[in-house]
Amino acid sequence: MQIQDLPYPDPGVPDARSGPRFLVWLGRNQLGGQLKALLWGLLHFVSVSSLPFCVGFAVQAVVDRSGARLAAAGGLMALCGVGIALGDTMLHRAAVTNWITAAARVQQLLARRTAVLGSALTRRVAAGEVVAVSTGDVEKIGWLVEAVSRFTAAAVTIVLVCVALVVYQPALGIVVAVGMPVLALSVLPLLPRATRRADFQREKAGRATELATDTVAGLRVLRGIGGEELFLDRYRRASQEVRHAAVRSARMWALISAIQVLLPGLLLIAVVWHGVNLAREGRITVGEMVTVYSAVMILSYPLRHFEEIAMAYSFSRPSAKRAARVLSLERATDGEGSREAVVPSGDLYDPTTGLLAPAGRFTAVVCGDPDAAGELAERLGGHTADSSELPSALVGGVPLDELPLGSARSAVLVQDKDPVLLSGTLRELLDVPASGDVSPEEALSAAQCGDVLDALSQGAPTADDAMDARITERGRSLSGGQRQRLALARSLVTAPGVLVLDEPTSAVDSHTEARIADGIRSLRQGRTTVVFTSSPLLLDRADRVVLVHEGEVAAVGVHRELLHSDARYRVVVTRETDDEAAAHELTHLRELEEIEETA
Amino acid sequence: MIGVAPPAYDPAAPTTAETLPVGAPATVRAYVAELFQRHRRAFLALVAVNTVAVVSSMAGPYLLGSLVQHVSDGATAARELHIERIVALFALALVVQAVFVHQVRLRGAMLGERMLADLREDFLVRAVGLPPGVLERAGTGDLLSRITTDIDRLASAMREAVPQLAIGVVWVVLLLGGLVVTAPPLAPAVLIAVPLLVVGCRWYFRRAPSAYRSEAAGYAAVAAVLAETVDAGRTVEAHRLAARRIDLSDRRVREWTAWERYTLWLRSVLFPVINATHVTVLCSVLMIGGSFVLQGWIGVGQLTTGALIAQMLVDPVSLILRWYDELQVAQVSLARLVGVRDIEPDAGDGSLAPDGRDVHADEVHFGYRAGVDVLRKVSLEVAPGTRLALVGPSGAGKSTLGRLLAGIYAPRSGTVTLGGAELSRMSAERVRSHVALVNQEHHVFVGALRDNLLLARTDADDAELWAALGAVDADGWARALDDGLDTEVGSGGVLLTPAQAQQIALARLVLADPHTLVLDEATSLLDPRAARHLERSLARVLDGRTVVAIAHRLHTAHDADVIAVVENGRISELGSHDQLVVADGAYAALWRSWHG
Repeated sequence: MQIQDLPYPDPGVPDARSGPRFLVWLGRNQLGGQLKALLWGLLHFVSVSSLPFCVGFAVQAVVDRSGARLAAAGGLMALCGVGIALGDTMLHRAAVTNWITAAARVQQLLARRTAVLGSALTRRVAAGEVVAVSTGDVEKIGWLVEAVSRFTAAAVTIVLVCVALVVYQPALGIVVAVGMPVLALSVLPLLPRATRRADFQREKAGRATELATDTVAGLRVLRGIGGEELFLDRYRRASQEVRHAAVRSARMWALISAIQVLLPGLLLIAVVWHGVNLAREGRITVGEMVTVYSAVMILSYPLRHFEEIAMAYSFSRPSAKRAARVLSLERATDGEGSREAVVPSGDLYDPTTGLLAPAGRFTAVVCGDPDAAGELAERLGGHTADSSELPSALVGGVPLDELPLGSARSAVLVQDKDPVLLSGTLRELLDVPASGDVSPEEALSAAQCGDVLDALSQGAPTADDAMDARITERGRSLSGGQRQRLALARSLVTAPGVLVLDEPTSAVDSHTEARIADGIRSLRQGRTTVVFTSSPLLLDRADRVVLVHEGEVAAVGVHRELLHSDARYRVVVTRETDDEAAAHELTHLRELEEIEETA
Repeated sequence: MIGVAPPAYDPAAPTTAETLPVGAPATVRAYVAELFQRHRRAFLALVAVNTVAVVSSMAGPYLLGSLVQHVSDGATAARELHIERIVALFALALVVQAVFVHQVRLRGAMLGERMLADLREDFLVRAVGLPPGVLERAGTGDLLSRITTDIDRLASAMREAVPQLAIGVVWVVLLLGGLVVTAPPLAPAVLIAVPLLVVGCRWYFRRAPSAYRSEAAGYAAVAAVLAETVDAGRTVEAHRLAARRIDLSDRRVREWTAWERYTLWLRSVLFPVINATHVTVLCSVLMIGGSFVLQGWIGVGQLTTGALIAQMLVDPVSLILRWYDELQVAQVSLARLVGVRDIEPDAGDGSLAPDGRDVHADEVHFGYRAGVDVLRKVSLEVAPGTRLALVGPSGAGKSTLGRLLAGIYAPRSGTVTLGGAELSRMSAERVRSHVALVNQEHHVFVGALRDNLLLARTDADDAELWAALGAVDADGWARALDDGLDTEVGSGGVLLTPAQAQQIALARLVLADPHTLVLDEATSLLDPRAARHLERSLARVLDGRTVVAIAHRLHTAHDADVIAVVENGRISELGSHDQLVVADGAYAALWRSWHG
């Protein structure tokens, strides 16, 4: 797989039974890439390690006063240079390609899993985990994928060099061959401690960042009421804690660096001492001694990869475990369904509460308990996020749970209490799978979005058309009421056979709400619409109002009628306390008398 | 054609206009100078320990060189050699080097951490001093991205790049110095590779910083799409957007990897250049030095030392190249951070103080953009203790009028006064001791419940805090918390319901005790059940104060002393509920529809 061919047309089905299995699965899928990296790595490290031989050869040539051999050493060195440069560049290309293709594959797998899980994600702790895998764990897994072939090449090279030294100069070579494993393993016992301290530092840094973002997010409150110094002090403390943790962690790394200087240095001294004695006895040449010295010096480079692989492995193990867990999450209901994929039409009926929304009419539902209203609204769409014992809602007599998920969602659109605006331009926001009967302009005007368009085009002076203005993540730059109206416009543009809206105008002012109620009514003419609300302005415009009390339909009628006939209804809708309700009863009687009098 | 062109789509390109200024080069330079001045001693100490470490690291090559010289000079010289003494010297140098390398790493980190801490604390100090009007206009999004993304980028620059570069530069200079001292004729041989390195690096560093920025933005965009899909799970499913989200993710992967491919190409040019430089240096030192030895100009010992030092140059040069582009990226982030310093802090006229409590707006005009007035010729008088309700359609200017009455914005023409003194000329601290704006944003700060209340009156004792909670009916649930006032709330701690968050906001008002309140749809995001309960708490808080309520629920208006209907930037109706109902205008029509 080359980078330019990404993304994968199909990222495959991962082996997500466990973290290590997932890593193996990733590796198996890029065996070619790993092999390529290994071979280029060998060329690189072997060329690097050959340099000392050239240096020793050159020094010996000079000692022997041989110009020709010096020139030959130069030629060899140039050859090594080509090997180093080519090997280094190609190793880097191959290793980075491995990490990018692995990271892209995991990101694609995550995107697909998330899309399948859909609403099931919002109620689970899993939501945070998916994001954590995507933002942090993918990189760590990629690091291991990248490092493994480089490490193998380095390890093979060290063995090769030791063997070569033993063959080239047994007396000195054996010292190096014994010393090398000690050097390779010396800092490994310190690494867990160092990474623990680094983790602690990251945790502290995360806390400080959290405090800073939190302070900035609430800055308007602070500036409006006070307490800036209190929060600054708190942040300063957290910031200093980060600093102390970082220095503590640096102490460990400084110690590791010192050991990495000291141990190879001791090996060098041993080589020199032993070497000089051997040279004095005439058993080795000066050039050979320089070669061995130079080789020990240069071997510290491939040696560093022992440290890298140990850290990459310890970081990526928990990451792979988390990734495997996220990739094996499943939905509560069977999204395939047991019936044919047809989109039903007809009356919407919920057997649990007895709620009936006749086809083609505008039904408003009043429900004293907002949580119960939310659950009922979700149930009206079928395929609830959590598994439920309750019977499925029916459209035209067809249980929605038995339909494939896609068909159920096309039949009924449920807009929940907190619809999310996806970032992008306004045009993209309103470009949703739709029946095509309602144009974006019609939907925007029915949802009274005129001022939102103004606000958006003000915020984006470069966009000529408000439709090209960008909506930031979750529509944070807009007010609560503006967000609500845009979400409503999106639902209206979909124009489904059945539309269920849960408190669609709770953050909208009364003037605008009244106009929206008219807009919804005229735009949804002839289609089934259910609105959960307690606002008289919406209830007044519904064909049919249903009061759901303690999980059952308690009254059905029209707003004005219910307002007069049903005390429970009046309490919910007019927000009166019981005393007020009694008083209202009186004034109401008076009003009736007045009406009778004028009549 | 060989090579990869930069991708056409740049994920790092700004999509929305920068809402806060970015520091000018002069501001950035001044800040860097100030930072350096503050940490001058630590810097000098780092350079000093680094010098010792590098000098002692050259002892090995030097001693080996002299050994080689002795051994190759023949048997007599070799016998005179005190190998034990040399080994002892070697070991001593090694210990010194190890100790000082330890010090270099540690001091480098300490310096970096200190600078980083200064930087992030300085930024927050500046941020909390921003005038409220700037915050209302700019929002907090831009500030948030600066304190997360930019501080993050600077973290690695300050923590690693600055100390490492300082170390690397000193290292190179010393190695070259060592070469000049031990084998002077060899020094020019090193310079042969310099032109290659300079040309290659110039090519690379011209392209690298912006390319890495785009690459990082591209990668962040991949994660951002996924995070959004997760966050919007229900919406995505309800609107059948799953396939589109997958397509979008794949598109982001394509855009990101296109930049990865480009930066990989940049490195594919840089790596051979660096490798070639190293080998050229080593090769030229050996070849040129070797022929010098053959000519008898230098000794074989000097050649050995020279070659080993040339070999040692690999590390510091890689170090410099590794961190140099990080520094370039950091410059951009630094400019964004110090840009906040370019905003004039809100000074206000300290001597200006209100005399009395009446709020008065006189022929006020106001607009967010030149030439477009949101409010036109608005005049209004609010007597002390009055409750004024502002009603009207969205976008009519209610909230803007509220912010003018709270002293957050200054009118374009006309005046808004409190007790005869102009609000916009007072300092924010003075204004807030008299007037508070309460909006939909009921931010609960991460931390103890106590801190969340103390911010309103920092010297309040626990009894006062409990009294404030009691005044807003919040003492019930607050007392039930495990640690009382010490309970951690906000994200990560005990999660409060929106209604509880609102009660905390109200308790803060009780503590801050301003005589005038501007309520901007304060309860609008709550569900009706909670709202009803809260209104009782609110009523107690409002008692005896002047209140300007931007209302979107008519029963709030009904309870007010005076109602102002704002339409199209003007006040179209003004009077009590009964007066307006009798007048039979827009308000009356709405009321009838509402009340049935």
